Amino acid sequence: MRVTAIAIVLGACGSPPAVDVTLNGSGSTFQKAVQEVAIDGFTRVHPEIAVNYGGGGSGKGRQDFADQVVDFACTDSPFPPADAAKAKGGEFIYVPTALGAIAVAYNLPGIRELNVSAPVLAKIFSRQITRWDDPAIAAENPGVALPDRGIVVIHRADGSGTTENFTRFLEQAGDGAWTLGSASTVQWSSETQAGMGNGGVAQIVQGTEGAIAYLDHSDARASGITCARVKNRAGHFIEPTLESVTTAGPGITFDDRLIFDALDSAVPDAYPLIAGSWCVAYLAPKVAAKGAALEQYLTYVITDGQPLLAEIDYAPIPAAMRERALAQLGRLP
Amino acid sequence: MSSSANLAVELRTRKRSADAAFGWVARGSAAFVLLVLAAIALTMTARSAPVLSAMGLDFFTSTQWSPPEKVYGALPFVFGTLFTASIAIAFAVPVSIGVALFITQVAPPRVRRYMIYAIDLLAAVPSVVFGLWGVLVLSRDFGLGRSFLTAGIILAVMITPIITSLSREVMETTPQADKEAAIALGATRWEMIKATVLPHSTGGLVGAVMLGLGRALGETIAAALVIGSALGQITTNPLAAGNSMPAVIANEWGEAGTLHKSALIALAMTLFVITILVNLIANAIVARAQRRMRGA
Amino acid sequence: MATTAVTAAAPLTTSSTPDLRSRPNWRATKSALMTGVMILCVAAIAIPLVAVLGTVVSRGIGEVLRGFPDFFTSDIPVVSRRVGPGMGPAIVGTVLATGGAALLAVPLGILGAVYLNEYGGRSAFARTVRFMTAVMAGVPSIVMGLFIYLVWTMRMGYSAFGGSLALACLMLPVVITSSEQMLKLVPQTLREASYALGASKSRTIATVVLPAALPGIVSGCLLAIARAAGETAPLMFAVGAATRLNPNLIFEANTALSLQIFENANLAFEGAQGRAWGAALTLVALAFSLTLVARLIVKRFK
Repeated sequence: MRVTAIAIVLGACGSPPAVDVTLNGSGSTFQKAVQEVAIDGFTRVHPEIAVNYGGGGSGKGRQDFADQVVDFACTDSPFPPADAAKAKGGEFIYVPTALGAIAVAYNLPGIRELNVSAPVLAKIFSRQITRWDDPAIAAENPGVALPDRGIVVIHRADGSGTTENFTRFLEQAGDGAWTLGSASTVQWSSETQAGMGNGGVAQIVQGTEGAIAYLDHSDARASGITCARVKNRAGHFIEPTLESVTTAGPGITFDDRLIFDALDSAVPDAYPLIAGSWCVAYLAPKVAAKGAALEQYLTYVITDGQPLLAEIDYAPIPAAMRERALAQLGRLP
Repeated sequence: MSSSANLAVELRTRKRSADAAFGWVARGSAAFVLLVLAAIALTMTARSAPVLSAMGLDFFTSTQWSPPEKVYGALPFVFGTLFTASIAIAFAVPVSIGVALFITQVAPPRVRRYMIYAIDLLAAVPSVVFGLWGVLVLSRDFGLGRSFLTAGIILAVMITPIITSLSREVMETTPQADKEAAIALGATRWEMIKATVLPHSTGGLVGAVMLGLGRALGETIAAALVIGSALGQITTNPLAAGNSMPAVIANEWGEAGTLHKSALIALAMTLFVITILVNLIANAIVARAQRRMRGA
Repeated sequence: MATTAVTAAAPLTTSSTPDLRSRPNWRATKSALMTGVMILCVAAIAIPLVAVLGTVVSRGIGEVLRGFPDFFTSDIPVVSRRVGPGMGPAIVGTVLATGGAALLAVPLGILGAVYLNEYGGRSAFARTVRFMTAVMAGVPSIVMGLFIYLVWTMRMGYSAFGGSLALACLMLPVVITSSEQMLKLVPQTLREASYALGASKSRTIATVVLPAALPGIVSGCLLAIARAAGETAPLMFAVGAATRLNPNLIFEANTALSLQIFENANLAFEGAQGRAWGAALTLVALAFSLTLVARLIVKRFK
């Protein structure tokens, strides 16, 4: 009797196709949506392989990967050399997966368009500018009725590659106005608020009038919050869109490990806050049997998986980079 | 004849050794508690040693927490934990005692039974559910934002059923004869409560509050969702965004490198020591109150 | 005393029609006032609790019932921004992690309680164990999670069993304390009767003492399980983040309802938040039914 009850319970959970291999990954939340659509598409073609992606931030991904508690990890910035040496599994490769925009999102009812430049952003995020009707903001937004309201700065609570890329942009393009350095976490003023992950940041922006935040464009779009236009190197204020990111692709230079920096593109109609993100995999996986599945999955991500990225507002990696990445993947067992 | 006597002896010794074996298995199970606690203390101490040797006592007194610069001062988080727990206690204690008095002294028996059931069920609601409500409804839809106050309110709602339930049990032990004597002397209901129920239950109530406090101090998830995750904030403004020890551990663990992890473990150690002290004091007070009640 | 009587009586002499009923009685008013305050207290806690449960039910029920039983059977959508059902793997994960924890903690806890009450008594060792059990009951759940990460996850990877270990550590002191209390209630005369019939100590415990205390012990264990099922922090460091069904207790990452609620609560997508409310309703229903069964057992056998 009890046995049948259990059988019914298990039966009710559907009979899942037999899973032979499970791949576990963690890391970049910037890349979470990329991994999600890739896993969704991949497991439809390969039901025998299960892929789990836990997110948790680039730092967690790199740590988990170094400790070999995951099969692959995703990160928004390369391993610091000291950490790379500590990776328990030996030599590993970088596979770039997507280009994405970091959006500057804000909550000002009635204001659908807002222009900001890097120096103004730097001053806002370091609390040198604290009100929306500050002359520096007004100068970039002629004709916009900026409210007499305090700015609420929102940043990531957890260490994040998005924070690192955003602060690096402020440092590079901010004309010296940014003094907090660039890292996955920086010493924010205590007057700021923090959210866990992009989702946490998006929620606070949704619920706080006067808020400004940085988060990935994909999440900002899906949460229905408004994004500012950011001034690029050519001097144009550009809205983050799939096109304004894709157009920056071919101009990106990369090294032998496929590491590159896509920030502050010189292309005239490119959005300036663009970041790349990578998957990392050991050449000799801890569980040898997983090697083939891992190669299949990562190959899928950069080939058939690329067109799926449009749904989530990420741009594909440029063709030249893809060819090199496929060659790297060929080195997996 | 002799073989059956041997058999009897053998059976008896086997039975006796089985008996002894059972006793040892039971003793071993009890010893398991000591084993686990020792393992926790040892692992945690060993893993928090790097940051404590790097920071020294500054770990507990410095207000700067900056992983990139390898500076770890835990004071703001200790403060945040105590501050949110105090807000929670300030809300929860009067309400819990009021509800417990209502259940034990005012409510008709039928209502009382249902209320006891309801309180027990509410104590079983998982904290993450309160956290979900806190972050999506209280903080976003009601616009309360993320702050010490929001975290304190959520914690208060969470611990009220627990404190109420314990307070009710304590109040129910007030001898009926005392209460009747008070009424017979012409006391009103409130005077009867003041003269008999409250003095009788003081010890137990303090214990109940301390157990609630222990729960509020160690609560991670609800606080992590609504406290606001600000760094280095020591302020008595309840509307400011803050942070607490468990929330920091939950939020930063993923990103942490070796020394940072060590700092988070040291934070956990600190939390561990504080909550254990609170719980032990609570247990001692409850035990003393129980002894006194039995003596009375 | 006498003066008060005189002053109190004074109005009577001046007024020809004294109305004793309408005389303000401050003491009675105060008592009524305090009763009012108590009712206010009941309202003060009832309102937020009803609001929490009301929201869980109203937002969760639609999610759970849409295309029934899809919510309970299908996988968790990998693309978290999509709207649609699926908490099957989380339900299985919660059952596995909690069930595994119960299998570890319940026998160990009951045996420990048997030692404390039947063997140890007031010996120094038993008193130490009792004290340490109280200490262990106060360990914050996130500390247990970290501990399990350090001794288990770092070596063995994420799995439901890691979660079981963390939850078992949380349950153990609760099971010991509640079981010992129940054993204490078994009348000494029962044990003596059993010894008089020639039964050994272990036999007496197994056939007389434990059966007599069983309803209380089972109820205490169910309450401990109900609490463990809702825990999140200890699972964060041990279970992982699977989205597909993993009926395997020991191997491969898994997930749990509480973890899914925590994760989705942090997302700003409608679909993810809907699933969080559905998972919350499922988890609350699970915890409530375990608690109710525990109460019924106590009531039935009292």
